[in-house]
Amino acid sequence: MKRIFDTQLIGPFAAMVIVALIVALTTERFLNPGNLSNLSLQVSIVALIAIGSTIVIFAAGIDLSSGSMVALLTMILAQMLKFVGIPLVLALPLILFMGGLLGLFIGLITAYGRIPSFITTLAALIAFRGLALTFNNGSPIFSLDPALEPIFYGKLFGVPMPFFYLVFFYVLAAFTMNFTKLGREIYAVGGNPAAAVLTGINVRKVQTTTFVIAGFMTAVGAILMSARLNSGSPNYGQTLELQAIAAAVVGGASLAGGRGNILATLMGAMTIVIVQNGLNLNAAPSSVQNIVLGLIILLAVGIDMWRAEISGLMGRMFGRTSSQQSSNVKKEA
Amino acid sequence: MTPATPLWEFVDITKAYPGVLANDKVCIRLMPGSIHGLLGENGCGKSTMIKTLSGVQQPDSGQILHHGKPVTISDPQAARELGVATVFQEFSIVPTLSVGENIFLGNMPRSRFGVIDWAKVHNEAARVLAEMDVDVSPEAITGSLSVGEQQLVEIAKAVAMDARMIILDEPTAALGEDEIERLHQLLRNMRERGTAILYVSHRLDEVERIVDEVTILRNGCVVRASGETNINVSEIVSAMVGEDIGEHYPKEQNATKDIVLEAAGLATNSGVKDVSFSLHRGEVLGLGGVLGSGRTEIARALFGTDELTGGQITLNGKPVRFRREIDAIRAGLALVPENRKFDGLFFNFRASGNVTAASLGGLSRFGVLNLKAEEQATHDLIRDLEISTQAEEKTVNFLSGGNQQKIVIARWLFSASDILILDEPTQGIDIGAKIAVYKLINRLTRAGKSIILISSDHDELLAMSDRIAVVQHGTIVRTVDASDLTHDDLVRASADTPQSKPKEAFA
Repeated sequence: MKRIFDTQLIGPFAAMVIVALIVALTTERFLNPGNLSNLSLQVSIVALIAIGSTIVIFAAGIDLSSGSMVALLTMILAQMLKFVGIPLVLALPLILFMGGLLGLFIGLITAYGRIPSFITTLAALIAFRGLALTFNNGSPIFSLDPALEPIFYGKLFGVPMPFFYLVFFYVLAAFTMNFTKLGREIYAVGGNPAAAVLTGINVRKVQTTTFVIAGFMTAVGAILMSARLNSGSPNYGQTLELQAIAAAVVGGASLAGGRGNILATLMGAMTIVIVQNGLNLNAAPSSVQNIVLGLIILLAVGIDMWRAEISGLMGRMFGRTSSQQSSNVKKEA
Repeated sequence: MTPATPLWEFVDITKAYPGVLANDKVCIRLMPGSIHGLLGENGCGKSTMIKTLSGVQQPDSGQILHHGKPVTISDPQAARELGVATVFQEFSIVPTLSVGENIFLGNMPRSRFGVIDWAKVHNEAARVLAEMDVDVSPEAITGSLSVGEQQLVEIAKAVAMDARMIILDEPTAALGEDEIERLHQLLRNMRERGTAILYVSHRLDEVERIVDEVTILRNGCVVRASGETNINVSEIVSAMVGEDIGEHYPKEQNATKDIVLEAAGLATNSGVKDVSFSLHRGEVLGLGGVLGSGRTEIARALFGTDELTGGQITLNGKPVRFRREIDAIRAGLALVPENRKFDGLFFNFRASGNVTAASLGGLSRFGVLNLKAEEQATHDLIRDLEISTQAEEKTVNFLSGGNQQKIVIARWLFSASDILILDEPTQGIDIGAKIAVYKLINRLTRAGKSIILISSDHDELLAMSDRIAVVQHGTIVRTVDASDLTHDDLVRASADTPQSKPKEAFA
């Protein structure tokens, strides 16, 4: 357990708490039970997709395709439910399978075609959005199935359903990353691919697997998106991939790969959503929200990069000087 | 030979990091036209001193005198302006740029309109290279050169800026014997012209050969400063280590008659051709040869990294074929690669992750890792191999080179490999750690494991091997008992002998 709840979580957790405190101080409505429940709904889709984005990042890749894949999968789901007449219980597993399949496709091209994932997923970002537009002449499809909405809006013991999805998938992801061979191999491939090859790790297979996971988690997000709006649209999920990556980065995942904690991504996603929520409650326009989101990403990475300097500064500010430093002061004086 | 006034004087230089006093009142005097050795074990404060001298960091206290006048070296740019050039262990050349561009990087000659004067870049670079007697085209892409040539380009940068003092940090770590000789000749020429040279190296035989004066550091303090021209290796060693280290090469004879591995006619597309040898249980088979002779490629061929285009490997009497590294690992082979930083270590892991990386399959059930067993095994290996206990808590980038190397070897102890290929296992680690690696080799052979040792340190190779296979142009030209060879024999045998050249022409 010590391994999961390690020091890597302290920073992102502190950031989340500080942001929540600030928002709570500026608006009373923030701590309303209604708003908090709304918050867990808001964070759910991006936080679930961010599991995949983060695992790809752990293996030193990047996934830009998830937003467009959400649009494509909601359109396929809508098509199946509304026009093909496939029942919901069959359509949902099919969507999850397709998400994994699309991820497999991207992963194979990336790992075995030796094309950087930035390029393959950028291509997918563009192509998937195009593919989504080929359904229903590019128009959204509404009123899919009355049984769809409870998946998102339903409650169990008074707690919104998405909360349980978050707990389930984050526990699973944390277990995988910290206690399984696959998780260790993902960190190894991200940390040093050349060394991973020489220790007999099948680097390409591991890289491909991370994209399959990302595709699957994107499909989970797509189902929630469809359930939330009871529709499919080629316009859903715009910039969702960037929000998911932002959640990973704010959570402290290194884009160079090999370092980070999956649970910190959840905190990163929460931080971002709390800020957005706070701005919403204070009636800030969406332009301001985007500017603030940009600054948060910069600040999160900056704090990580300047950690040494910051702790040095703190030391000086709060008089925690070492004997060496104090002797310096004496000499200067 | 030495004029009276020193070029540089560093007086009572003190530098502390949180928790460590890295330099404690270190004094160094550098005379023009003199090669000054700065020696000491890893962690003795050499790197800190170099950083201070090259302006990368500021000392906490102490005085720096240039021509007798106090100066401050506020940053690397200031060091450059004062005529100090530093050739760091990690190259600072850009591999994708031409040699000429690298030589003048950051200092490109410009024509009137502020445009780079390419004719001048290439002419000046050619002049500098000719002056250094280095046969490399200024237009060649630097990354395509051999490591030794890249090192010389690095030094050419210093020559081009007309440095009066050059700091060389482990300049020969990656060089072959003839390249070292070339470098030394270059340094002697520079000494003739009055340049002061600070030479940092772990290879004491070299130090003996080239250095005029030495300063030896231990735990951040100067333990010995000498102006004497003849200081011998054993004196240096005991000053560095602080005690009599006993036998430098504690070789045990553990070789048996059983053959565990046999290679017949191996060939690859990476230049290995017709390599045949046998390896006995408990034996250390040394691969000798110059840099680029194909020793590392032979290792890669054995390990399944490079595909065999011909030949057969036989393991314990059974023919085997390794399609990938994992096949070789499962068959009991292990490879400790030449460059532990590049392809040996996972810097994002603590010791445990590094130790078990090659054995994750055996450590897990249904894909779930047995973390308790991992921690316990790592703990035992750390104690056993006398690795810093910090390795249990901290990621391995915080450890010294010697500790890092032990961890890479520990990986293959944990995987219970029977045949270990050690490619330059003692490169860049200090003497204490080297001896620890030698003892580890003994322990392995005593347990019936076999070792293929690749080393550019001829003394080490001669002392630690049972037999030596001399590699030239990707093939083994002969195999002899190590006891039948002297250092000079090995150097001569490894070098491209005139007799072998016509044969090459026919090939």
